[in-house]
Amino acid sequence: MSARETILTRVRAALDGREKEAHPGPFLAWRPAADPVPPVRAFAERFTAAGGEVVNVASREEATSWLQSAATAAGSVVLGATLSRELQPDAPALPPESAAMGISRARGAVAETGSLILDARDGRRAQLLPPFHVMVVEAGEIRETLADALRSLAGDLPSAVGLHSGPSKSADIGQILVQGVHGPGRAVALIIGSGVE
Amino acid sequence: MRVALFATCLGDRIFPDATADAVRLLRHLGVEVECPEGQTCCGQPALNAGYVREARRAARHTARLLRDTDYVVLPSGSCAGMIRRHFPPLLAGLSDGARTLGDRTYELAQFLVQVLGVRSLGDGLAGRRVSYHHGCHALRELGVRTEPVRLLEGCGAEVIPWEAGEECCGFGGLFSVKLPVVSAGMADRKLDTLPEVDVVTSADGGCLMQLSGRARRRGLEIPFRHLASVLWEAVR
Amino acid sequence: MSRPAPSGYAAAAEETIRSRPDVRASVTAATRNFDANRARAWAEIEPDAWRDWARDVKAHALTHLDRYLEEAEERLRASGTRVHWAESADDALGILGRIVATRRIRRAVKAKSMLTEELGVNAYLEGKGVHVRETDLGEYIIQLLGEPPSHIVGPAIHRSVDDCRALFHEVLGTPADADPDVLAAAAREALRSDFLAADLGISGGNFLAADTGTLALIENEGNIRLSTSAPRIHVALVGIEKIVPRLEDLSGLLQITSRGATGQPLGIYVSLLQGPRREDEPDGPEEVHVILVDNGRTRLLEDDRAWETLRCVRCGACLNICPVYRQTGGHAYGFTYSGPIGAVLAPGLLGLADAMPLPYASSLCGACADVCPVRIPIPELLLYWRRRAVEAGLVPAGERLAMRGFAAASTRPRLFTAAGDVLRHIPWELGGRALPVLRGWSRERSPPTLDRRSFQSRWKEGIE
Repeated sequence: MSARETILTRVRAALDGREKEAHPGPFLAWRPAADPVPPVRAFAERFTAAGGEVVNVASREEATSWLQSAATAAGSVVLGATLSRELQPDAPALPPESAAMGISRARGAVAETGSLILDARDGRRAQLLPPFHVMVVEAGEIRETLADALRSLAGDLPSAVGLHSGPSKSADIGQILVQGVHGPGRAVALIIGSGVE
Repeated sequence: MRVALFATCLGDRIFPDATADAVRLLRHLGVEVECPEGQTCCGQPALNAGYVREARRAARHTARLLRDTDYVVLPSGSCAGMIRRHFPPLLAGLSDGARTLGDRTYELAQFLVQVLGVRSLGDGLAGRRVSYHHGCHALRELGVRTEPVRLLEGCGAEVIPWEAGEECCGFGGLFSVKLPVVSAGMADRKLDTLPEVDVVTSADGGCLMQLSGRARRRGLEIPFRHLASVLWEAVR
Repeated sequence: MSRPAPSGYAAAAEETIRSRPDVRASVTAATRNFDANRARAWAEIEPDAWRDWARDVKAHALTHLDRYLEEAEERLRASGTRVHWAESADDALGILGRIVATRRIRRAVKAKSMLTEELGVNAYLEGKGVHVRETDLGEYIIQLLGEPPSHIVGPAIHRSVDDCRALFHEVLGTPADADPDVLAAAAREALRSDFLAADLGISGGNFLAADTGTLALIENEGNIRLSTSAPRIHVALVGIEKIVPRLEDLSGLLQITSRGATGQPLGIYVSLLQGPRREDEPDGPEEVHVILVDNGRTRLLEDDRAWETLRCVRCGACLNICPVYRQTGGHAYGFTYSGPIGAVLAPGLLGLADAMPLPYASSLCGACADVCPVRIPIPELLLYWRRRAVEAGLVPAGERLAMRGFAAASTRPRLFTAAGDVLRHIPWELGGRALPVLRGWSRERSPPTLDRRSFQSRWKEGIE
C-alpha cells in the first residue's frame, strides 16, 4: 500500500464511529457594536497602526504625480507588471534586488485587517526586495472584511497572493521591535479616490 | 439554615485555627454549623495525579458524609472545586447525590457573598494593606474572582494589586513534590512580585502552605494568613 | 551529546532554573509581553464567538479529514503542485532527499516551520551536502547558536539582547554594542544573498484550504514570502491536520491565529500559494511540492479523547500564559513542542511512554484553556494522559503504593487521623527517606507544622 493509501485508511478507521461535526458556517468576525467606519478610514487606521504610511489622493493624475516625486527622490524603481502605463513614473529602472523603490499594483485591500492584496502576476520579487515599497489601490476596491476579500479572490487565483499589512518587522532580538528585516522597511499604501460614490 | 463544614485534610491538620475561624464567622452570621464526623480527604491529590480508583474511594466516603446537608462550605477553593466539578463524573452511577452535592457546595467567601449576600463584616480591617492570592481552582473551577476581594474591601482593607496575583503559586498538589524545583520557581515569581503589605491572604490552604513555606526557606518575613482568619479579624 | 528527550525534563528544568536565571528572565519577559498583546487584541473582538467558530471549523475539518485530504490533493495537482504523502519522519526526509538529489540542490533557504524541526530536516539535508540557511530572524539566531527553538512563535525568546549582540559581533562583525536595528540590518544583508542564491525554499504550512488547494503561511518579516518566491523550487511540509475546508475559512483562522500569537489583526505578510509560477507571471518557483506528513497524527486522531489536540493552530498562546513553561522556556521539555500543547502533543505523537513525564509538567492551573483560540481542553487532556500513565504503570512504584495507602486511609477516619499523628512527629528532613513526598517538599520549602489538635478534635471539644 502506498503511503497515501495507508494514511487515508488510518484516517478513515480513526473517524469510523466518531460523531461528525458540522461546519459552523461563515466567519463573521464578531465585534462589540461600534459606529461603522468607512472602509478607507478603517484600512488607514490599521495600516498606520502597523507602521505603514497611507497616502490618499483624489485622482490618478495626483497618484502619478506623487509616484513621480517619490521615484525621483528614491533614485531607482522596479515596477509591478500590472501597473498601468499612466501610473508608471519616469525614473531609472533597476532589477528588484537593486532598486531603491518598488511600486506594486494591489488588486484590492482589506479594511478590517489593514491589508493590501498583491498578486503574483504583478511580480513577487518587486513586492519584497526593495527597501521602500508603494502599493497602489483604488478606494473602491477596499473590502470591509477578509472573508469578502477571499471570496472575491476564489474565482481568479494566481500562483501566489500576498496580503501585506505594513512594513516588515520582527521582535526576535530581545523582544525589541525592528522594522525592515527582510521585506521592505517602509511600506506605503497609495489610495486613489475616497471610496464614496 | 444548616450548613455542613467540610474541613479538608489541610484545614483539619495544618490550618485548624482558620477552619475554627470559619465556623465562628458563619455562626456570627446566624448560620447553624454542623461538622459531619469522620472527615478525611476529598481525593483531589489522587485524582490530579491520575489515580482515579483511589480518588473515587476518598470521594465516595466524602460524598456519603455530606449526604444530608443543605449547604456544604469549605475553607478551600480547590476542594470545593473538586466536589463541585469532579465528584459528579467520578461518582456517576455510584452516588445519586453527587450531582446535587456539587450544586450546594461552596468555598467560604463564595458562600458569604453569593448565598448570604454579605457585603461587609465590620471595619476591623481598616487601614490594613492586603494582597490576595487567587487560587487557580477557585478562580477557574468556581469562577470566584471578585468575592474575596470585595469582602476584604468591605471590611476596610486596602487590597493592593499584585502583578502575579492570579498566577499559579506552584502547589498543584503532588506537582509540588514531583517537580519541586519548578514548583519553588513558580512560588518565587509570586514572592518576588509581591508589593509591601501587612498580610497576604488566600482561600486555599495548599497555596498558603506553598508560599509561606518557600518564603520561610528564603528567609523572607512575609505574613501569610488564611482568608477565614483575616475575615474573622474584621468582625472582632 | 545525547539528544534531549522528554524523559530528561525534571533534570533539565532544575538545571535551567538553578544555573540559568537569564533564561527564566528572558522567557518571562517575552511571554508576558506576548500574552499582554494577545489580551489587548482579544479585547477588540468577541473572543468567545471567534473561539467557538474556530473550534467548530477545525473539528469539522478533522471529522471529515479523509474527504478534505483527497480534495486538497486534487486541487493541488490541478494547480501544478506535486503532492507526496509521508507516513513517518523517515519517509518525509526520504522524499525531500530524492527531490534534492534529482534536482541537484546545493543551497536551501528555510522559512520557520515547527514540523521541519519535528522531522529533523536541517540535520538531514546538511548530511546530504545541502547548505541550509534559516531565514526567520529568531531561527537564524538559534541556528548560529546550534540550539533548537525554545518557543513555537519566538524561537529565541530565551536569549537576551546582549546574547544577540555578542553572537552577531562574532559572526557578522557588528559592533559589540550595536542596537537591535543595526543587528537586524546586518542579518538582512547576510540573508539577502542566501535568498537570491538558493535553489530550494523550504517551508511548513499554517493551513491548507481544500477547495482551492491554497497553502497559507503567516509571518512578519517577509522571509517566508521570499523563501517561497525566489528559489526555483519550493517544498512545503504540511501536517495532515492543517487541512481546512474552504479558502474563506482562512479569514477566521488567519485572524484568530495572529491575534493569539502576537496580538496583531493579521501577520504582516500572509502568503496564499497555489502552485508554481504561471506563464503570465514574471517570477516565482518553477516547481512546487507539498509533502503531506502523518508522523503520529493518525495515531492521535484514533484516540477518542485526545484527537481534539489536533485542532492546534500553533499560535503559542498557551505557552505565553503558562507559569510552568515560563520557568524554563522550551528546551527543558526535550521535544519540538513545549509548554501546555507540547505536554499533550507528545504522548499523542510519540506514545505515552516516550512522552513521560510531560503530562505531569503542569500544576493544572488551567490558564492555558482560558487562552486557546480553538478551545483545546488542555487540563482535561493532561488528566486523561495521567490516568493512562497510572493504568500503564508508568508512574513510580513508591508513588502507587503511597496512593493505595492514602485511599485505604481516606475511607477509615481513625486510620487517617493516626497517620496524621505519625507524620506530625517525623522531622521532615529525615522522613524523606521513608516518604519521598516529604523530601520533595523540604528540598525547597520549610515544612508546615501539623497542629497537635486537629480541627475535628477541637470541634468535639466545642469551638468558642
